[in-house]
Amino acid sequence: MRLLSYMGQWKSAAKEVLDRTAIVAKFLCLLHVTNNYLCSPTLVYGPSMLPTLNLTGDVVLAEHVSHRIGKVGTGDVVLVRSPVDPRRILTKRVVGMEGDTVSFYVDPMYSQTTVVPKGHVWIQGDNTYASSDSRHFGSVPYGLIQGKVFFRVWPPDGFGTLEQ
Amino acid sequence: MRLLSYMGQWKSAAKEVLDRTAIVAKFLCLLHVTNNYLCSPTLVYGPSMLPTLNLTGDVVLAEHVSHRIGKVGTGDVVLVRSPVDPRRILTKRVVGMEGDTVSFYVDPMYSQTTVVPKGHVWIQGDNTYASSDSRHFGSVPYGLIQGKVFFRESNELRITRF
Repeated sequence: MRLLSYMGQWKSAAKEVLDRTAIVAKFLCLLHVTNNYLCSPTLVYGPSMLPTLNLTGDVVLAEHVSHRIGKVGTGDVVLVRSPVDPRRILTKRVVGMEGDTVSFYVDPMYSQTTVVPKGHVWIQGDNTYASSDSRHFGSVPYGLIQGKVFFRVWPPDGFGTLEQ
Repeated sequence: MRLLSYMGQWKSAAKEVLDRTAIVAKFLCLLHVTNNYLCSPTLVYGPSMLPTLNLTGDVVLAEHVSHRIGKVGTGDVVLVRSPVDPRRILTKRVVGMEGDTVSFYVDPMYSQTTVVPKGHVWIQGDNTYASSDSRHFGSVPYGLIQGKVFFRESNELRITRF
């Protein structure tokens, strides 16, 4: 008899655990969809976007709508999956779209000009002295763009839209 | 009085609509996450993968786990976002990984050899005569791979595996 009552209690406890897990799972699902398709806070760090973004790390809001509808253009700061290491995501500025002619300095004396091919973009860090970007690995396919940065949340004195 | 009763009915009907919409939304959410991160059925068509895949269209199952953990290798049929048109997804076979040396014919007399750079893959369609692939637009960054095809659902009684 006791065994039956224990089993009954255990069953109801298990059901409650399952219900709560389902709620948490649905919430994580929704959070994930929002992060990937609408807007997500991202920690970006490194010297390649000084002075726009800090060296030690900024929390920025990136929206993931524009690149899917083709609204990324010159001057935008974008999150791009690295063509050299597919597990890293870079933060750079789009300097040229497909068809644009881009000039850049390989060393202080010698400048080179290229045309950005179809379906590609040319990205550069604002801090050209400490940035590994399209000047090193060439034009990047548009399909590697993950999102567009439009707002900075942290640190508090940098709160607001990014300067051009 | 009638107005109050109408409003009460309307409120409960609206609540029921909202509940049902919420259930449908959660289901679509789950379906979408499964399609993007686990496995999804995809319709692929075109002549570039003959005779492996049909010209008029095949429904294949593509899994989206391997490329995130780096388990895509030579010989795999993969879904790749086109480097020329970011809205198109191609189905090609991986012929070379980063560091491999790849030889291909630009025309029947002249063959060229390239080394696949770091972080890139070399993709080719099985039907080399009617395929626009890495021989035309070069190595493709690994980050453009969307999934790996592993199964084809066919009308024949026997299901073919790759």
